[in-house]
Amino acid sequence: MSELQAAIFGALGGSLFGLMALGLSMGWGFLKNINLAHFAMILLGGYLTVDLATNLGMSPVATIVITAPLLFLVGALVQAGFERFDVSEFNSLLISYGLLIITVQVVTNIWTADYQRMAPDVNPLAAESLRIGPFVFPAPTLLAAAFAVALVVLAQFVLEKTYAGRALQAFGQDRQIASAFGIDHRMLGVLLAGASGASAAIAGMLIAVGEPLIPFSPFEWIGRVFAIVILGGIGNVKGTLYAGLLVGAVSGVVALAWGPSASPLVVFSLVVLALVFRPQGLFPRKAGH
Amino acid sequence: MRRRAPVASLIAALLLVITACATDDTGGSTTVAPGTTGGPGTTVASSTTEAPSTTAGGPSGEPIVVGGTLALTGGLGPTGVIHQIAGQLFVDRLNASTGLLGRPVEWNLVDDASDGARIAELYEQLISQDQVDLIIGPYATPNILAAMPVAERHGYVLPQHTSVLAPAMTYACQFPGWSIGPEPNVFIPNQLADALDSLGGSVSTVGLVTNEGGSTSFVSYGPADNPDVPATDTILPERGYEIVADIPYPIGNTEWGSVATDLQDADPDIVVINGLGLEANGLIEAMNQIGFDPPMVFALFPAPGAVLSLGDLTDGVVSVSIFEPNEPILADMDPEAREITEEFSARVEEAGLPYTAFETQAAASWNTWEILTQGVEGAGSLDQQAICDYLHENGADLTFTGHVDFDPEVNNYWPTTQVLKQVQGGEWVVVWPEDSAVSPLQGPAG
Repeated sequence: MSELQAAIFGALGGSLFGLMALGLSMGWGFLKNINLAHFAMILLGGYLTVDLATNLGMSPVATIVITAPLLFLVGALVQAGFERFDVSEFNSLLISYGLLIITVQVVTNIWTADYQRMAPDVNPLAAESLRIGPFVFPAPTLLAAAFAVALVVLAQFVLEKTYAGRALQAFGQDRQIASAFGIDHRMLGVLLAGASGASAAIAGMLIAVGEPLIPFSPFEWIGRVFAIVILGGIGNVKGTLYAGLLVGAVSGVVALAWGPSASPLVVFSLVVLALVFRPQGLFPRKAGH
Repeated sequence: MRRRAPVASLIAALLLVITACATDDTGGSTTVAPGTTGGPGTTVASSTTEAPSTTAGGPSGEPIVVGGTLALTGGLGPTGVIHQIAGQLFVDRLNASTGLLGRPVEWNLVDDASDGARIAELYEQLISQDQVDLIIGPYATPNILAAMPVAERHGYVLPQHTSVLAPAMTYACQFPGWSIGPEPNVFIPNQLADALDSLGGSVSTVGLVTNEGGSTSFVSYGPADNPDVPATDTILPERGYEIVADIPYPIGNTEWGSVATDLQDADPDIVVINGLGLEANGLIEAMNQIGFDPPMVFALFPAPGAVLSLGDLTDGVVSVSIFEPNEPILADMDPEAREITEEFSARVEEAGLPYTAFETQAAASWNTWEILTQGVEGAGSLDQQAICDYLHENGADLTFTGHVDFDPEVNNYWPTTQVLKQVQGGEWVVVWPEDSAVSPLQGPAG
């Protein structure tokens, strides 16, 4: 029973990491950008949520009405910069790492190095949970799971059912050929990066609802998020969510059975094994995706 | 897709390194950041602040430069910045009075960005290239341990704020501003057991949860190379408290749900969290979410403001302290102590930080600056050996701790003044030992 409860905790928490990984995975898969600035946007989303909820009295969840469009613009601008300077896949990693460091410093200067957290009256969700039979579902991570599923379903729908989505897939497979068929890859790239920025805003809000923020937080997220991207398959939308749930559930059960220290060991062993035996990710996708 | 595998492998390796470097250790408390950090490795303060006075009795002449680093950014930033504010306040007050040896003091403060690997290099630079007159330690045990060999090689006195790992601090001219005695691994569990004994047997089982970092692991299990040394895991059972769950966790742990579930299964009377910073918050919230409300919680080095931010959830939580600005305590002290705590709180508030109390971390910082300046004044010069000798022979009179003596036989760790504090009515109050208590220790809830 305890193992199942631990798996539930882990899977719910993992879904949040899956949501964080979603924008990164799509940008890497379709645009060939390894955008560490995605973590900077998540951080900004979190801090803006705390600020807006605390100072303007907004519901934390409602803050995404402001933060999502704002970070859509930021994401789009970063991508426009990558396009403008024709940044390669590897250089995008280095440049965006610089952007992340700059953002961490800016956040430190604006909000201080101290932790930021919404007061219980501003963020009542933090202490709530749903109980079904003997099992408990903490409200913050349950909310994260709901958002993660909704965004993955939406992203999958756009990719499969819309012209823009199919164009993105074509572009992800072969830029030259896609361009020859008249696909405006610049506009598509900017839109996708903007959408990733908006998803970062949502992820930031969800993190702020569940835990305190410090400027250094992104460096605690990066390892697990990249593990999920790699296990889920780069650019594999549904795979990212599945990998998040898997990594979270495995971590939770391992932590209960062998102690929390064993969790990173198991998760990163999985990553190593996946890179050796299934570099395309653990989860199959339909042909053409 | 296969083309990506090498890049993915590279990223995975890179991120493992980043993740490993992204962790922290030691000594928690909440913090303060004036928001003026200049980035890793940069000098963020080099000021005499209140300009050297030319009035009678004020400092004059060439400034005496004190060099040091603090973790103003990075994982330790939330606590490192409190030392910045406390230290700057000390320097400002010093320069507003008589200075040091009649000269103004300039603090050459460098942000070490919580990067332990850079500490030795930065202290080497401060001493060899910047040729500072004096040095003061960085924040956090691993960083202090990294600075100590550099100070020893150059023969510099090293007053340091927060390393409580007494056995590891072997340099004869390092002087701690915070002491849990020469054996914190023995003192802390015994002090806790003493307090629990006073509750008349209502607590008998313990859930021990430990950050595997240096100082907290040391308190739970003793030194890694000598498991026979007594520590919490052996002392509490000897004192009649059965450990029904023993859960070590890695630095940067996120599996609080699993830890809480494990504790719920064990159902201890008290959960002892030998952890740092925000970790106690993570576990307390996770326990609350599954409906497990342990009768008592002890948190070793939590961020005190963060604990209070959880409201009723943390009422009754017990922790350690070397100073709390409780009114009865301030009333018994020199009026200067009240003035310092109020001025400190005003500066913290001005910086926009959520927790403004002058407590353990700030007091440790203040102690450290007092040790340094009293050593210099006592020696009457900037001669490092003379300063070291003076402190060994005379000790120091500390505003928030009283007189302390430094015995090199026990690595200069003075008899501790540590007390236990408890969240009562939304505030930290001193509850143990009884002769220092502002309020009685409250036992198991309900």
